[in-house]
Amino acid sequence: MIAVKGLRKSFGPLTVLDGISFAVAAGEVVVVLGPSGSGKSTMLRCINFLEPYDEGEIRIEGELVGYREAGNGKRTPRPEGEIARFREQVGMVFQSFNLFPHRSAVENVMMGPVHVRGISRKAARETAAGLLAKVGLAEKMDEYPARLSGGQQQRVAIARALAMQPKVMLFDEVTSSLDPELVGEVLLVMRRLAQEGMTMIVVTHEIAFARDVADRIIFMDKGTIVEEGDPREVLLNPRSERLRGFVRRFTGALPES
Amino acid sequence: MFHVLIISLPYLLKGAVVTVWLSLATISLGTLLGFALGTAGAVGPRPLRAAVTAYVFVLRGVPILVVMFLGYYVFPALGYRVDAYVAVGAAMVVYVGAFVSEIVRGAILAVPSGQIAAARSLGMRRGPMLREIVFPQAFRMAIPPLLNTALTTIKQTSYVSVVGAWELSYAAREVVERTLAAFEIFLGVMVLYFIICYPLSVAARHLERRYAFAS
Repeated sequence: MIAVKGLRKSFGPLTVLDGISFAVAAGEVVVVLGPSGSGKSTMLRCINFLEPYDEGEIRIEGELVGYREAGNGKRTPRPEGEIARFREQVGMVFQSFNLFPHRSAVENVMMGPVHVRGISRKAARETAAGLLAKVGLAEKMDEYPARLSGGQQQRVAIARALAMQPKVMLFDEVTSSLDPELVGEVLLVMRRLAQEGMTMIVVTHEIAFARDVADRIIFMDKGTIVEEGDPREVLLNPRSERLRGFVRRFTGALPES
Repeated sequence: MFHVLIISLPYLLKGAVVTVWLSLATISLGTLLGFALGTAGAVGPRPLRAAVTAYVFVLRGVPILVVMFLGYYVFPALGYRVDAYVAVGAAMVVYVGAFVSEIVRGAILAVPSGQIAAARSLGMRRGPMLREIVFPQAFRMAIPPLLNTALTTIKQTSYVSVVGAWELSYAAREVVERTLAAFEIFLGVMVLYFIICYPLSVAARHLERRYAFAS
């Protein structure tokens, strides 16, 4: 469903993505691991075109993301309206939650359906309430983000993204800002989402989650994919030295399955 | 003891009324102008943003009194006869507009970019995003400095007396010239200005506390 080929992106002199290629099938959960600065977040932001990319292609269901190709191989950026409509199909959850602080939880979740799809407030509110119940926050629906814990805010953020009924969900280190006790409640929601068949690309440091929930693990370093494969194989028998070092650092904290 | 002040009070109060009208007019028009410019300067196309930046840059580097003088003399220089109040009022609106513009522009840009990213990834277009996410929060942030600007503007109306437009400060100096009771008169005028500013001062303090709590 998602096909990335030869993705390259630089910020000025710094090459952040140096030829990334991978594919994600519908319903697959792909976890992306890697050290800071490996380009994981940038890659994610390219997929929903929050960042433009310089070379290569990203295709979602065959459609080129962000650009229109002219016949002679050149391409032009798509107009903002088209890109916005495309983004309705790709949900994203951020490390810093990014909830709208001046709106309650349910109003946050309603934001997409009401102001992008034009759904009536009444209908949107019902759906939003259902989504909040699904992530375990039914009783908090009229609370404002400032009164919610980090884990609760992140779950609202997930519900908000789900309200648009996206085909793919992108998770950008969504538990990295959370206190350890709050991480579990968010991972639980993500695990359930995976079990329901959502296509997910998850950038995370939660190795246990990767091992237990991912269909495939991608290990990135310095802008390239170093290793890719079945979670247990990749984590138990890393082929590359870089991945071995990475796993070793986390193995101490790895709970037994 | 304040005999002279009491006798002069009706005359001074007439001046105070002019000050209040002048303040209301320049604050409201200046704020409208500032909102338009500030929004353009924050989210408009690049040439527009550059123009607003230049406008603000120039006006911040000039004393309001000089702008008032320019306003007073620009119309006759162009061959038009204009009422003194209109001339200095226009100058004040241009001046206040620059400061309000910076406040509004800063407030818009201060809305955290993470929320913009979140709105965009929901598929929100620019219009709804500005209307639902950016402006409500920017407005809340802008209110304390906007109230301060309004307070400053009220006090700056006293400068128009230097250019020759009649209001409270002008009236005060006329009375002092006539009665020589300078201290008494100016003390009374100070109280009058304080009373004019009082509602805004109270509102500013009240809202500062409320905004601080919300963030």
